[in-house]
Amino acid sequence: MNGAQHILEAFHRHSIQTVFGYPGGCIMPLYDALVDDVRVEHVLCRHEQGCALAADGYARASGKLGVCIATSGPGATNLITGVANAYQDSIPMLVITGQVPSALIGTDAFQETDVLGMTLGIVKHSYLIESAEELPGILEEAIELAQSGRPGPVWIDIPKDVLLAETTVLPEPMPAQPQATCPELSDAIALLCAARKPLLYSGGGINLAHAEDSFREFAKCSELPAVVTLKGIGNAGKHSAHNLGMLGMHGSRAANRAVDECDLLLVIGARLDDRATGKLDGFAPNARTIHIDADAAEFNKLRKAEITIRGDLNVILKELTQALRDTPLAINEWRKQCQNWRTTGGFQAADNEEPLAPITGPAFISQLSRTAPDDTIIACDVGQHQMWVAQHYQFDHPRHHLTSGGLGTMGFGLPAAIGAQFANRNSTVINVTGDGSFMMNAQELATIRRYNLPVKLIIMDNQCLGMVRQQQELFYNNRESQINLDDNPDFVAMARAFDIPALKIDRTDQVRRGIETILAYDGPMLLHVAIAREENVWPIVKPGGSNKEMIDETRRTAADKKEKIA
Amino acid sequence: MTTESSCKAPSYNITCRMSHEAAALERLCQVVRVRGFRIAKMAVDSADGALNIALTIQGTRPVAMLQSQLEKLHTVAEVKLAAPVVAAASRIA
Repeated sequence: MNGAQHILEAFHRHSIQTVFGYPGGCIMPLYDALVDDVRVEHVLCRHEQGCALAADGYARASGKLGVCIATSGPGATNLITGVANAYQDSIPMLVITGQVPSALIGTDAFQETDVLGMTLGIVKHSYLIESAEELPGILEEAIELAQSGRPGPVWIDIPKDVLLAETTVLPEPMPAQPQATCPELSDAIALLCAARKPLLYSGGGINLAHAEDSFREFAKCSELPAVVTLKGIGNAGKHSAHNLGMLGMHGSRAANRAVDECDLLLVIGARLDDRATGKLDGFAPNARTIHIDADAAEFNKLRKAEITIRGDLNVILKELTQALRDTPLAINEWRKQCQNWRTTGGFQAADNEEPLAPITGPAFISQLSRTAPDDTIIACDVGQHQMWVAQHYQFDHPRHHLTSGGLGTMGFGLPAAIGAQFANRNSTVINVTGDGSFMMNAQELATIRRYNLPVKLIIMDNQCLGMVRQQQELFYNNRESQINLDDNPDFVAMARAFDIPALKIDRTDQVRRGIETILAYDGPMLLHVAIAREENVWPIVKPGGSNKEMIDETRRTAADKKEKIA
Repeated sequence: MTTESSCKAPSYNITCRMSHEAAALERLCQVVRVRGFRIAKMAVDSADGALNIALTIQGTRPVAMLQSQLEKLHTVAEVKLAAPVVAAASRIA
């Protein structure tokens, strides 16, 4: 077998059946080998960034490894945003790129770039293969590494001559992972039992550790008031009685209030990201912290924790559940207080009763949430619509909410939806996007058409870069700068050019029918939703500000009136 | 370029053992830089497929954070932090 065939053999060994890629000069030997392979489905995207983001969406929606392939030079550099996106959100991904032949490396050859050097900061690990003999072993190691511990992208750069070289070397089987044992928890349990106002703070690590069931059992048994990060949305399921919702910059008033008042933060599978904590000095000022995570490097990075526990979240959560079964928490007053906050400070999306009124983002997303099937996967882009989805869509599982949390990659949603649809052929997959984000990877409409994927596309079009406009309005004296998109193309005509049916709505009385129409359609369909340019996401915390200083619509309106009177 | 802040920043000595693979040193130096430190001195020798690296670094952030980030690198076998250097390291050109 040659190097290229060894790659396909590795795919077979690890049950990798779907990969996303784009061919070119130096990766041609692998594409030649694919011709004879019937076990690997190669999805041809229309841009390498689309390949990487589709592989990311596939991994998020399935819990499996995402794989993307590109050629050297521009093929590889086009992957970079997608790989950085996966790195920031700890998504398991294998990246394979062709490289110029070994003898030409360092000669500024055609389509040569130093991929290994330029991607060091966005990968869990990377390899430049020097001989065909080392390729099989490195493939095994890379596939294991991408998925173990804290997952992440692993990049293998392979010179063309290595792809063509024959080798009989077979990979050594990776040593079996030792059975995860539970670290010492007695101090954590004692601190938890002593707390009067403990708060459960969970993030994307629950999903990454495949620990959703253990987490829900713990949440149910402990009855701890709980908040989630953007990536933790869905952890508790939509029927959890104690979930106060997302915290942070666009979090619920209830969640941020509970963080502010709690005396113990039990952080599980979260990294205390700045969008969640706001200004660190003012974050949970009265609380001690127990931090549980798979990655020890996250401990004490941004906030000092009294107790840190590294390990398998599944094992730890089961042990904690058992401990609390034996010693229930006596925190009824605190639970009651949090329930009151939830009632008065949760996310509210007022339905507009006036049928001809313009469509508002929150009301539209609430209607979508009520109408779409329970197992619907929503792949968001980045901006105001992303926050409206996080606030107003009721997710029952974290794998149903695909969002670019760490990198905030506009253009993520459409290719991620493609990946998610390949991972879940029978599920409803919806890309909720904005007019800015949609245009960043719109070429992938051709991929949807080519594979006849029944992905639904919803563009929330406010004719501008809404989140930037909102921050310019609130924090830059309303000085709008380079946010105008009122020369957008006709999105309905654009979809139809890709042979994807589409319709446009712009009034409240069209919302329900519009959503039902695209959901009922047997194939891909686009819904263009015109919304008001001036609509903002509420509440909001000024970037760098404390979560205590949330600005909401009422306060803003009052301040406007005062200004006008003055 | 020498900056006032870099001269005043605490110095630390770190030793690191890692696999001698492509871009090993770049990987190490990149983490040091991104995590807020500057390299004032660096010595490397290789033996038996491993690199032994001695670094004197300067930075105002907690050095334990850097140590844990270096330990995360797949090819790093060991990171040792020596006692803090009392005097500031020589100025950086």
